[in-house]
Parts: sequence; C-alpha cells; structure tokens
Amino acid sequence: MSVDAADSSATVLQQQRLYEDRWSAYGANAGLLHLSSKPSASELKRFDLFKPYDDQLLDQLSPDISIAKWEKGAILFEEGSYLDVAFYIVEGTVSLFLDKHATSASQPIFDTKLVEAVASEPSQGDGAAQTAFVQPYQPPKEKKEAKGKKKGDGANITYLASMDFDLAHGEEHQLGRGDIFGEIGALNGWPQSVTARTATDCTLVQIRLPALQKLKLRSSDFKEWVDKLYRERTLSQQLKTTPLFRGTDDRFVEQLANRVELISCSPGDVVTEEGAAVDAFYLVRSGFLRVSQKVGDGEVAVTYLRKGMTLGEVELLIDGLDGWQTTVTSVGFTELVRIPRADFESILRDDPAVRQHLWAAAINRIKETGYTKQNPEQPDLIEFSLAKGLVQGNSILVIDLDVCTRCDDCVRGCASTHDGRPRFVREGDRYDNFLIARSCYHCEDPVCLIGCPTGAIRRTNVGEVVAVDDNICIGCGNCANKCPYDAIVMHDTEEVWPDTALPEFLRGRDRRVASKCDLCYESDAGPACVNNCPHACAFRINSIEDFQQLQAVDHAQR
Amino acid sequence: MKTAVQKTAIYQKKRPGASRWANKWIQSPQWFLGFGIAVAVCLVVFVLNVVFGRVHPGSTWGLGYGIAAAVLFVGVFFYGVKRRTMKVRALGRAWYYLQFHVYGGTLFLLLMLMHVGFQVPHGVLTWWLWALSLWVVGSGLFGIVLQKWIPTLLAGGVRTEVNYDRIPELVADLQKRGDAVAESADFAVQDFYRKQIAPALAAPQFRPIYFLGIPSGMGGKAKLFASLREMQPAEERIKLDELEELYAAKMDIDAHFTLQRALRGWLYLHVPVSVIALALLGFHIFAVLYY
Repeated sequence: MSVDAADSSATVLQQQRLYEDRWSAYGANAGLLHLSSKPSASELKRFDLFKPYDDQLLDQLSPDISIAKWEKGAILFEEGSYLDVAFYIVEGTVSLFLDKHATSASQPIFDTKLVEAVASEPSQGDGAAQTAFVQPYQPPKEKKEAKGKKKGDGANITYLASMDFDLAHGEEHQLGRGDIFGEIGALNGWPQSVTARTATDCTLVQIRLPALQKLKLRSSDFKEWVDKLYRERTLSQQLKTTPLFRGTDDRFVEQLANRVELISCSPGDVVTEEGAAVDAFYLVRSGFLRVSQKVGDGEVAVTYLRKGMTLGEVELLIDGLDGWQTTVTSVGFTELVRIPRADFESILRDDPAVRQHLWAAAINRIKETGYTKQNPEQPDLIEFSLAKGLVQGNSILVIDLDVCTRCDDCVRGCASTHDGRPRFVREGDRYDNFLIARSCYHCEDPVCLIGCPTGAIRRTNVGEVVAVDDNICIGCGNCANKCPYDAIVMHDTEEVWPDTALPEFLRGRDRRVASKCDLCYESDAGPACVNNCPHACAFRINSIEDFQQLQAVDHAQR
Repeated sequence: MKTAVQKTAIYQKKRPGASRWANKWIQSPQWFLGFGIAVAVCLVVFVLNVVFGRVHPGSTWGLGYGIAAAVLFVGVFFYGVKRRTMKVRALGRAWYYLQFHVYGGTLFLLLMLMHVGFQVPHGVLTWWLWALSLWVVGSGLFGIVLQKWIPTLLAGGVRTEVNYDRIPELVADLQKRGDAVAESADFAVQDFYRKQIAPALAAPQFRPIYFLGIPSGMGGKAKLFASLREMQPAEERIKLDELEELYAAKMDIDAHFTLQRALRGWLYLHVPVSVIALALLGFHIFAVLYY
C-alpha cells in the first residue's frame, strides 16, 4: 500500500527545505539558502559571540550550533511555536512582530492568584476547581479553531505568557548584527511571543538549548548578557502586569527590574535552606521546585512551586521568623527572579496592595504546610508527582483500579476514534488504587515539541492540547524519544513513502508516524477513553490537586 | 499559542460522605432512587391490579406489563450497541447505557413476572422465554457482583497492573529471565529453581484460591527461599533475591490471569443467552400478534 501521492507531496514539498534545517520548528519555512552544522572551534571564533571562550568549550558546544544563511522574507519561527534554539545575527536584519494573538503580551507571568487556599477537606462538587495548592489563572476564552466547532469550558490551567519582546500589536521590532533572540523561549520552555522574519538576507548562528545551557553555566559573561536582555526586553513589563505589583509606581518597578537578580538552577540545586537567613523574595520564571521541611530526623516534601509562583512571602511578612521555614530544591532546570530583601521590604512599606496580595499567598502556604502535616500521605504524593512528571500535566488519564473491570473499553474507544489505533496504553505507574495511564499529559512545558523537524507535533490552539499532524509527520521519532513519560509511540502505517517523497531518503521506506493522545480535541463529547468507560472509573484530571481530591475521597472510604 | 484549555471533568467521583459499600454498589444515587421508585410504582399497580381485577398475560394490564417488559428488554440491548459504536460519541457516555442496562434489566424481570402473574408459564415457548429471562437477569446480577468484587481484590492484593492480553508475553519474559539467572547460579540454586520455581514460571496458571483473597503471592515458597538463602554465599543470595522477585511477579500475574479471566468469562453465561432470549421474545410477540 502506498501513501496517497497528493497527500505525501503536499507534506514533503512543504517540508523539503525545512527538513534540512533541524533548527526550526516552524512548518512552512522556506528560504534557507545554506546550512553548516558542527562548526569547528576556529570557525566559531570568527564570531564575536564566541571569541571569549576556549577551544575546549567551543568543541563541546559545536554539535548544538549551526550557521545558516537565510534569504530575505524567510519566516524563522511563528508566534506560539516552541523552539529549543536561539538565533545570533552575524549579518542582516531580522524583523519581529506580533502576528495573530494580541493576548500574549498582556498576560501576567507572576500571578499571586496562582496561590489559593488549601482546603483541608476535598471539595465535593463534581468537577469543581477546588485545589489544594493553587488556583490557576483563568485565561480569556477564545474560539476553537478546529473545524469550526465550539470549544469546551475553560479549565483550571495556569496560563503564563512568555515575552521575548514587549511589542504592541501591529508594531515591528528590528534586530541587527550582534543581536540575539529566541533565547528566553528556549531557556524557559516558553512558546515564542512573536513571529520572526528575515528583513534582509541573513547569516545566523543558531544555538540549540544544550549549548545555551552550557554557555550560561560556564560563562558568567554570557549569563549576564542574556539576563540583561531579559531585563531590557521583558522583565519590567512582566513585573508591571503582575497582580502583585499592579498599582505600584511604574518607575519603581522599572528600577526594581534593574536590581533583581536572575537565577538559573540546575537539577538538585538548593535555593533556600531551612533555618538559613532570609535574604530575598523569589518569583519562579520556569521549572519546578520541591519545597520540603524537616520532620524528626528526615525531611518531607510539603508542596512544590511552579512557573508563576512565589517564595518567601511567609518569612518576609510574619515577624519573628528568623529563617527560611522550608528547604527549596530545584527539580529540573529552573529560572528564578530574586528580589533582594531590602528592596522587597521597601515595596511592602510603600504599597499596601502588594502586602495584601502576599498575605493571601502566605496564609495559603501556611495552610498547605498544615494540611501536609495532617495528611501523612501528602508528601509521598508530592514526591511521586514530581518524580513522575504529574506536576507538568494539564490532562492526566487516571484509572481507579478499585472500580475498573479491565474491560479495556477505554482503549477500544480510543482506537475506534483514531482509525483503529489506540493512542494510549492501559499501563503505567500506580499510586494507591490509581493507575496513571501511559497517555500524553499535555505538559505545561512539552519537550516533545522541541526539535520536530517538520512542526508536525504542535499545540492545537485548543487549550494545552498537543497533537501530531499525521500529514506532516515523517516518523523521525524525535518527539517519542524526547517524551520523558513514554506517552508517544511510533506507529507503522503499513504504507510506503512514494517515489516523489522529499526528503529523498524517505522514498521507498515504510511510513511511520508518531502516535499520541490528542484529547479528542476535535470532538465536543470529550476524550473517548473517558466517554467509553462504562464504569466511570477513567478520569481526566487537570492537576495533581485533582488527583489529591480523588485520593482523599478514596482514603476516606477505607 | 496558549488559549483556554478544554475542560476535562472528573466524572463520577466517589462521594466523600457515603460509605465505601454505598459508593461501590450505588455509583449514582439518582439512578438508584429512580429504580426504587419504578419498582414501587410497579408493585403498587400490580397489587391494585390483583385486588380489583384478574392478572393474566392476555388481559389489558397483563399486556401492558408485557409490552413494558419487552420495550425494556430491547432497550437494555442498546448498551451492546453503544459498545459497538464507540466512534459515535454523540450517543453519550457509556456509563449511562450501563446504568440503564443494569436497572432496566432488573426492572424488565419484575415486569415480565408481573406479565405472567408471578406464575410459571405452561407453554413451551413461553416457559423457555421465562426461564431464559430469569437466567439472563440472574447471570447479569452475578456479573455485577463479580465486577464489584474482583477489582477490589485486584486493587488491594497485587502490586502491579497487568494487561490480560499481554499475560502470555509477560510470563514468557519472566521465564526467560528466570532461566538466565538460574544458569549463572551454583548447583543448589539451579536445582531449587528447576524443581520449585521453573514449573510455576512455565505458563499462566488459573488458581481459584485467588477468589478468596490474594495472599502475598509467595505462599510457602517464601520459607523455602529464606532457608536456602541462609546457606548461600552473598553472590548467590543476590540471585535468589532476583528469582524470588520473579516468582512474586508471576504470582501477581496468575492472580490477574485468574480474576480477569472470570471477569471476561461470565459474559459467556450472559450474552449468548440474552441474544437467544431476544430472539424468543421476537417470536413470542409475532406469535401473539399472529394468533
């Protein structure tokens, strides 16, 4: 059997030149004139950016660097796309502009609404948004784009925009020789907030995430430069739009933006140590942090922090607390904004609104700690959630094994909805009586999107849903290899790429596609797995707080 | 670009205020209440019917009961239709169909008994239809008991979740790994493996004991492992630990094999007979209309 020629040619012609460029995730790219990858240390030293570094470091960076020539008018990436690459301009001019979404640049990134009251008892309302740790920010509703259907209700998802540039809608920003862009999105796992197009023929050095991370870790100069750009382009605007600082004098916030420190943490780095002097207030830019407390001889996880949450409100507000009440450790690569204590206390003195916001957050943090201590299984759940990536999840398929009759109708329902091919496996990690099925979590920071050579795997513009476009997927397996949760499988379509296929190496080969849960986003009936479970024991939960509710009720029954 | 997420609600959570028993057996109080009301109404009507008139399948009331029973009996088959049309999600959630299947099926039996005046029919066809109806509803209720009981056994007794279709593959893998460990062990461990462990790893085993509860999975083997371990050097103990782990995993698989087989097997008691009963019902209606 052969792939329909029209489909395949549409696929591959669209992607032909793009495939040569594994540096971009934008799917309609054309205009790459030349690409040379793995440049030697001596080649790299021709560029100002790399002159300060020794050959040994440059050799380490080389596999993740390419030099590309682009013709005028080429789209480098689109607003909303995920990239693991930053661009450094050697020659030419690049134009940045807001293309389709006016909302992105106005959303707060540090939102104290993220911290909401801990309910000491789970809510009983069906599907209610009771959360134990956070009450996520509610984004504005937008029309669903898929097939003109209406979208479901907005759910409890943290919406945090990234802004490499603070641009008004319709405005353009020009970058020239020596400028870098895309680094904020790449380092933080944020979608690009602007569209980038070459305004002239350009030569760009394209630096992938591993090289960026190495540079940041090994070179204080590079880190300072990147942080400076973040301050200039993004930080003050982000702070201004944060509810915490809303109403605070703009000039003061701009001054503050220049004084804050930008911290990059590696996995396992300790941010605060219980008992140590409190020297700052922190905002989480990206990543996850484990918050723990000493109990007896050991240490238990109290909660976790994620993008948009704050740290230090309890210690800075409550008199008589001599040191940090918790130890906070970075789970993965984390980016933080650190506001020195003196600066923060001046904000508290001058601005009662900030103080009020913080009190709300502080009270909730204290409640969380209390809740954890009253519920011995809670630290275990937090550890499990951090270890298994549940904290990342926007839609996690959970099956109650105490009710499940193992009829597999959930899998069959999924298969019947997706041309006979199920998109998940009824296997996975087990926690108490719950099975966390191996189905896409639709992560907050989906690493599977990074580096797709054709842009086949993407956000669908329906909430957080990540889906694969079979028409564009060339079966390279990049996303499946990147997914830490084994939620993407490579599926053999039993077809063969036709002789017209491009890139040429595909011709005659078996056609494989990446297969993953798409949350049945094109249907208003909801996910087929849940829809077809006759015993109502398959759930889709939006957060680990939902999971906590399930678990608490289950425990109450024992 | 991020936009609002599609809400995916937590369906049918357990009710925090209800007991474990109530949550397990009555997933929806509304359905249960509706069923209770329907049963009460039927019985009141039947009692009034008995008091003020004659109960007979051919009477107006009797025919009414029969028609209602027939409609319900056809209605409960929509659960099967739903399971075969999963792609058409506009039909609604499967859970509603199953609720109707269970409560509607039980109500069918009551109406059918009211139709025959709670007596055994004399005709051959009607007797078979009556008997098969009893069998179908009885086996259905038995299935409900199994479906409530076995998942609890599995959830509480085994450490791992096993996909039934993959059991042969998983057992083969355990056997392969067991053989590999034993091959590198000394004679005593090899001998122990060959006599005590290898037979258990050979194939999935149906063990009815699991219906009474799932033990640790080790039975008396734990003592054998322990006593042999004491006589072995450190490196052999590690191999014994591996073998014990494999054996315990196999016991878990056997539990799944036994209990999931029962969950699948009872359908053979229920479904084919239901289809025969439906065919007989059709014939019965035809006979009534024709004659």
